[in-house]
Amino acid sequence: MLRAFSTAATGMTAQQMMVDMIANNLANINTTGFKRSQINFQDLLYIEMQPEGTEVASGIKSPSGLEIGSGVRASSNVKIFSLGELQNTGNPLDIAIAGDGFLQVVMPNGDIKYTRDGALQINATGQLVTTNGYSIEPSISVPIDAASIRIEKDGGVNITDSSGTQSVVGNIQLARFPNPSGLSSEGDNLFAQTEASGTPTTGTPGENGFGTIQSQFLEKSNVQMVTELVNLITAQRAYEINSRAIRAGDDMLRTANNIGS
Amino acid sequence: MSEITEQVGASLDALTKEYEIITHNLANAGTAGYKRRCNAFSKVLEAQDTNTQTYTPGSVDLNSSFDFSQGGIVETGRELDFALYGKGFFVIETPNGPLYTRNGTFSTNQNGQIVDFQGRIVAGQAGAITIPNNVSLSQLFVSSDGNISAEGTAIGQFRLVDFGDNEDKLVPAGSNCYHMTEADIQPAPAENVVVKQGYQEASNVEIIDELVDLIMVSRLYEANMNFINAGKDTSSSLMSVAMG
Repeated sequence: MLRAFSTAATGMTAQQMMVDMIANNLANINTTGFKRSQINFQDLLYIEMQPEGTEVASGIKSPSGLEIGSGVRASSNVKIFSLGELQNTGNPLDIAIAGDGFLQVVMPNGDIKYTRDGALQINATGQLVTTNGYSIEPSISVPIDAASIRIEKDGGVNITDSSGTQSVVGNIQLARFPNPSGLSSEGDNLFAQTEASGTPTTGTPGENGFGTIQSQFLEKSNVQMVTELVNLITAQRAYEINSRAIRAGDDMLRTANNIGS
Repeated sequence: MSEITEQVGASLDALTKEYEIITHNLANAGTAGYKRRCNAFSKVLEAQDTNTQTYTPGSVDLNSSFDFSQGGIVETGRELDFALYGKGFFVIETPNGPLYTRNGTFSTNQNGQIVDFQGRIVAGQAGAITIPNNVSLSQLFVSSDGNISAEGTAIGQFRLVDFGDNEDKLVPAGSNCYHMTEADIQPAPAENVVVKQGYQEASNVEIIDELVDLIMVSRLYEANMNFINAGKDTSSSLMSVAMG
């Protein structure tokens, strides 16, 4: 009896985690480059009360046995790296990656992190940096006399100086992973490499399966409100039903307690 | 008197087990690829001795087996989510032999091989399926027979198996997997199964059915308990007659 209580409790915990995850997805519905998470559940181990094929009479084996499961657990949550909607901003420094790949960002300690948030800016020394001020890798400096700037589909950064001469001052490179779902989320729209993600390969946008750079666009979050709300309702009802199972067990225990009274 | 108590005890025990199984089904109402367990009560053999005409009435026992019926197909849009429609299983390679699962929520590992969420290799027709480094997941296309390709280049094919009528002999191994304990039963290649990319097979637990069963179990439990109470009254009045 008490086993069933903990089984139902695992169900409630799992659903609660799902609600936590949906809340985070919904909170980031307007975050540039955000990727929604999906939670995966697995059933827990079974307690074998009577194995299949037990001999019930000489030569006769029971066709089915009795195994009682012990509930559910959230096995993992994965990021869904599907493309978010591309939104035109008109800002030449806003870039979106149409397809696979991440921008490489240099942390103050020299580590490389990865992002899909292409809202770039120019800092005081003329370097291309992310909204948080971290420079991108390879680093690209924009001369002070640049009158206009244009970022090409292949990542080339073109400037036109005050005299009207055009020149390429750098190329944006992208990185990709064998298993992007294995990247760890670091907050600030950044991802970090892990053992599970594998080692990154870098390359030119538009080649070898890398996405192209879309200038003047930002990639919106790929969270879809309707999907999340439907999942929220499902999780809430599933939570309710598991608590119902606990209540039924409680009723049964109460009946047992009342024997002879 | 003790016979009644024994029988009621056995049926309370069976009801408790059924309650535990229902709870487990309910806990897994949201688990992709989960198959509900269904219960069957059976009477324990009645023992009858023809010579002495004594008769021991049977008590009740519980058996449970998997209900392998199709679960709903839910769209997720993720490239490595696969739902199976029809009879069949994916094969997961483990050091202790193959496991079989209907949960096609896969991922890739650091080597680009398709794995399940515990990092175990998903079997292809020729070992593990490796997605080349220059192929992005969004280019991946999986046909209904499990052939994986990217931009027209074949990458591999899922190994899909079917146990036919021996499906009942599969034993749960947790984590949505089953294993076959009887060594002489070998699976055949699955023929009547369709692989759908970007979908998950939802749990086939019907919440309403489980709740109805839950109510029934708790009422039957109550009824059995009342029976013990009734038996107690009878024996105490018998005792008072005997004791004067």
